Amino acid sequence: MLITELKSKETILSLVDGKKAFIINCHGCREVYFPLEEAAQLQEELYAGGSVTGILTTDYICNPDNLKVRLESHKAEIEAADVVLVFSCGVGVQTVASYLEDRKVCACCDTSRLPGFQGVTPLEYDCGQCGECYLNLTGGICPITACSKSLVNGQCGGSKNGKCEVDPNMDCGWERIYRRLEKIGRLDALKCPTQIRNFATDQEVAK
Amino acid sequence: MEDYTKYRLKTREELAQALSGTDHIFVISCNKCFKEFDTVEEPELAEFEKIAAEEGKTITGSARVDFLCNKTQTAKTLSDIVPEGTESIFVVSCGLGIQTIADMQTECSESKPIPVYSATDSLNYTGHHGMALTDRACDACAQCYLNVTGGICPIVDCSKSLVNGQCGGAKNGKCEVDPNKDCAWEKIYQRLKKQGRLEEFLNQPVQMRDYSKTSFKFVHDYVTSIRENRLDGYYGGVHPLERKEYTEQIALQKFPEPETVVIPLSMHAGAPATPVVAVGDTVKVGQKIGESAGFISSPVHSSVSGTVIAIEDRGHATRGTCPAVVIRSDGKNTLDESVKPHKSLEELTPEEIIDIVKEAGIVGMGGAGFPTSVKLKPAKPVDTILLNGCECEPYLTADHRVMLEFADDIVFGLRAIVKTVGAQKGLIVIEDNKPDAIEVMKAKVADYDNLDVVVAKTKYPQGAEKMLIKRVMKRQVPSGGLPADVGCVVSNISTTKAISDAIQKGMPLIERVVSVTGERLKNPGNYIVKIGTNTKDLIDYCGGVVGDGEITYKAGGPMMGFVLNDLNVPIMKGSNGIICVDTDHTVEQPCIKCGRCMDVCPMELKPLYFAKYADEENWQGMKDQHVMDCLECRCCEYICSSKIPLVTKIKAGKAAVRGMK
Amino acid sequence: MKITELFERGEFVVTAEVGPPKGCHIENLLEEAKTYLSGITAVNVTDNQSSVMRLGSLATCKALKDEGLTPIFQITCRDRNRIALQSDLLSAAMLGIENVLLLTGDHTKLGDHPQAKPVFDLDSVSLIHTAKLLESGVDLGGNQLVGEPPKFAKGAVVSPCSDSVDAQLAKMERKVAAGADYFQTQAVYEPEKFIKFMEKAKQFGKPVQLGIVIPKSAGMAKYMNDNVAGIHVPQEMLDELRADKEKTKAGITGVEIAARIIKECRPYCQGVHIMALGWESKVPALLEQAGIA
Repeated sequence: MLITELKSKETILSLVDGKKAFIINCHGCREVYFPLEEAAQLQEELYAGGSVTGILTTDYICNPDNLKVRLESHKAEIEAADVVLVFSCGVGVQTVASYLEDRKVCACCDTSRLPGFQGVTPLEYDCGQCGECYLNLTGGICPITACSKSLVNGQCGGSKNGKCEVDPNMDCGWERIYRRLEKIGRLDALKCPTQIRNFATDQEVAK
Repeated sequence: MEDYTKYRLKTREELAQALSGTDHIFVISCNKCFKEFDTVEEPELAEFEKIAAEEGKTITGSARVDFLCNKTQTAKTLSDIVPEGTESIFVVSCGLGIQTIADMQTECSESKPIPVYSATDSLNYTGHHGMALTDRACDACAQCYLNVTGGICPIVDCSKSLVNGQCGGAKNGKCEVDPNKDCAWEKIYQRLKKQGRLEEFLNQPVQMRDYSKTSFKFVHDYVTSIRENRLDGYYGGVHPLERKEYTEQIALQKFPEPETVVIPLSMHAGAPATPVVAVGDTVKVGQKIGESAGFISSPVHSSVSGTVIAIEDRGHATRGTCPAVVIRSDGKNTLDESVKPHKSLEELTPEEIIDIVKEAGIVGMGGAGFPTSVKLKPAKPVDTILLNGCECEPYLTADHRVMLEFADDIVFGLRAIVKTVGAQKGLIVIEDNKPDAIEVMKAKVADYDNLDVVVAKTKYPQGAEKMLIKRVMKRQVPSGGLPADVGCVVSNISTTKAISDAIQKGMPLIERVVSVTGERLKNPGNYIVKIGTNTKDLIDYCGGVVGDGEITYKAGGPMMGFVLNDLNVPIMKGSNGIICVDTDHTVEQPCIKCGRCMDVCPMELKPLYFAKYADEENWQGMKDQHVMDCLECRCCEYICSSKIPLVTKIKAGKAAVRGMK
Repeated sequence: MKITELFERGEFVVTAEVGPPKGCHIENLLEEAKTYLSGITAVNVTDNQSSVMRLGSLATCKALKDEGLTPIFQITCRDRNRIALQSDLLSAAMLGIENVLLLTGDHTKLGDHPQAKPVFDLDSVSLIHTAKLLESGVDLGGNQLVGEPPKFAKGAVVSPCSDSVDAQLAKMERKVAAGADYFQTQAVYEPEKFIKFMEKAKQFGKPVQLGIVIPKSAGMAKYMNDNVAGIHVPQEMLDELRADKEKTKAGITGVEIAARIIKECRPYCQGVHIMALGWESKVPALLEQAGIA
């Protein structure tokens, strides 16, 4: 579950480079974000230019079993193409690439993270999955995601009118934390020892 | 299946520290997500309770919740569950669940909120996984490098996330950080070599990462807006591709006179009609050929003039087969003597209108086919009539065209309903994807003080009565209840037009508007079709189908429509569309507990349990999970990443639960 | 010489700051520093201030030291992970630079390389903690340092006129607990706020230097009000700067204002830190008017 943005038109056109392309759109997480109209428009142009052998618009291409069944129903179109353009998140592109290992499979989107998506989506809370939960010290507001610098020892000097120095539309995370602690009567949580993050907690998923 | 469980218990020392200074604790545990779906106890809760007991703490209670981060559902589950005397709440969950509870405590409590503590650490995985639980991950770096690397991710797969090639640390093709891990750049090199793309790689400009592209803020704002969209008006719902552009601009056309019509005696909820004609009889347009067979039933009428050639079981779009009256048309369309205008609306009494509607065989034309005359006699006082102009099903544009082309009739029909029911006002609810219909209807109701148009943000299944009432009236129809329980009657657009025809022309329900559409149909359009017309004739008239690959035909829309395995079935009173679409080739996969079905269910149910319980034939379990409240709107099945045929399983469960009584 | 020794002796400590250039020539910087700043206790050297890439802080400190001045090495967490931070602290000690000011640093997005990866492996509090650990002869990884451990005067910053002064005080307390020896403040234009702040801050028992930025014009003051965190120039001062444009342009008004603030706050603090922002030439006049020189 990730957010995708279209790569620039020039980049995508250069991937086709006048050759034949097969296009795969993944709409599985469209409920979250997929640049639907821009992608459709670009594909129409490519189609009109005669460089498209076929378009497969489907969902959840990250599911290898279903992807396989779907690709098989477009076998001829894929074989007629020089490049397979995938409009999806990076997981989808990798799944297609691993299935079509001998073909040039290209990503047409950049993927931004949807921090802490876990379970039901989308959420009003973010979790940085830092592996060392700080919520006990912050009254239940995540300093990793609520602070631009992910500070864990308190506010920096950049807060102005309770807003972040990086983005004046963003509330200062530590201002929020302070107010929360004040409200629930737990300001003593700020007297905890100096916090030092442990970046060695990654659980490797990729094998 | 990879287990993407996102948390683990903190260490004993950390927990002892967190527990110090509090004696009476309540524990809330999340049932986890993104793992195999089983209903056994999650071990962390028991483990934590054991530690807390060993630390000498009193546990005032505990709760296990599905998808703790789903605030709406969690708030429902946890209301008033924390007993008096609880000093603190410990949450066994990922950071999202903990924040949800912490926020709920801060928001809800008028007095001092109970402090919320985390008993767990969220696990930090490198990269984000897709919806299928494979080992493939994407780090969402916002500048995809897969085009340079033959589709292998250098950000996730390389320990250093190098983007310009292999470092000097690889030994025997393995990574310097983890000798069990393949060197990503070795894999990339081999793949590019295999594809003959090494030169392309060597000619790439120097790659440099741009860290300004990712921001929690950007994503947070985006997600918040999506969330608002999802929860707008009522919980859940989805936004499928509308695909209405195929037909929404195409004016209504009269479908050519059919040679024969097959009129099923059951096109409505309740008892099938009793035939009142015999083989060989001559019939006229509008003549009654089947009589209502009970309180919940409806008469049927001939849509052509001609000869009855058979009364027998014929194919039926939703019931397999059904007794039907087959009539060969004489092509003359001679009207039956009974078809003549009634008195003016002002002169008619409510009872007379109900009688006209009943005799005209009018039933809900949105698909359910509930006799309209019954709806017009609500058991409770009704203040508002809602005219359902949402047409939230993708593809379908029948009601949309009827609003544009028969606006006066719709207003007349609505006035008739308002008068009959004795309501104070009539509201025409139209989704904002139909601005032309909104404009037309607004102009038409301008002259009536008690009528108005309400514009609703497009969301499926807004056309479902309960959702419509929630959205417009902010009233909640009780479980198992009817709209009249909250003072409403909901009527479909085409039905309302049929009421107008019945009063103004005396014409019973013998024809309706059908959208014949879909990406595989050659010439999509909206047709005024006589009841009993053959579906295949309709598709053939539209130029047949085009393109390669399998086609799925459905009577109705893609969400609530019925798959047609045989096109030799008649158009009926509730046939709002015939669609010809690409078949999606998929296979059912095991549930991965992604929680999306629960997130989209407008009835706030937990569809994942229906799938599990149906497979186990645990009908009591389904009943306990309120399967009977399900609308069968198919949102859960639409969103299901494992392609589980949830609605089929739900229908099986409903049938079994009905049998239990 | 550590500036903490001066605080201990009860001296009113005056420091100023210089910003290294974008380039590798510092003759002008050294010339100005020698001319205008040789009379004061120590000179801060900023570390890629405002996230704008410049000549390094440590190298500039060394050059100032060679000229006979006492540098204060500013070091931020924005561009270095804990390995580089500790390494640079050891380098400073080796070069005889004992005064450090330990900061989190502005976010990378505010500077001239917004694409850069913001590090923030440590933050100001954990960096102070780390410096203190090094002084005990152990690094953050728990390893022993070889030989005599370094000794620093560990400075930190605080923003007394911030609109979230409570949160700032909480952070200051954490810095003290982590081992901060003294504080320099963000620029102060509201003495009454500063005095109120000091009433609360004095419980920590650490010397605080009043931060001063000489206002160059009404435009600059307004810009700071709109854009710089923790700074608010009151309306009367804006009017004063607007009243006589020539006088303001010549720096006379600004110096008058700054001197007034210093005089008013002096009884409540232990020193002053002047951020001249290019007006190093005005520093001697300012100190004279404030009655410090």
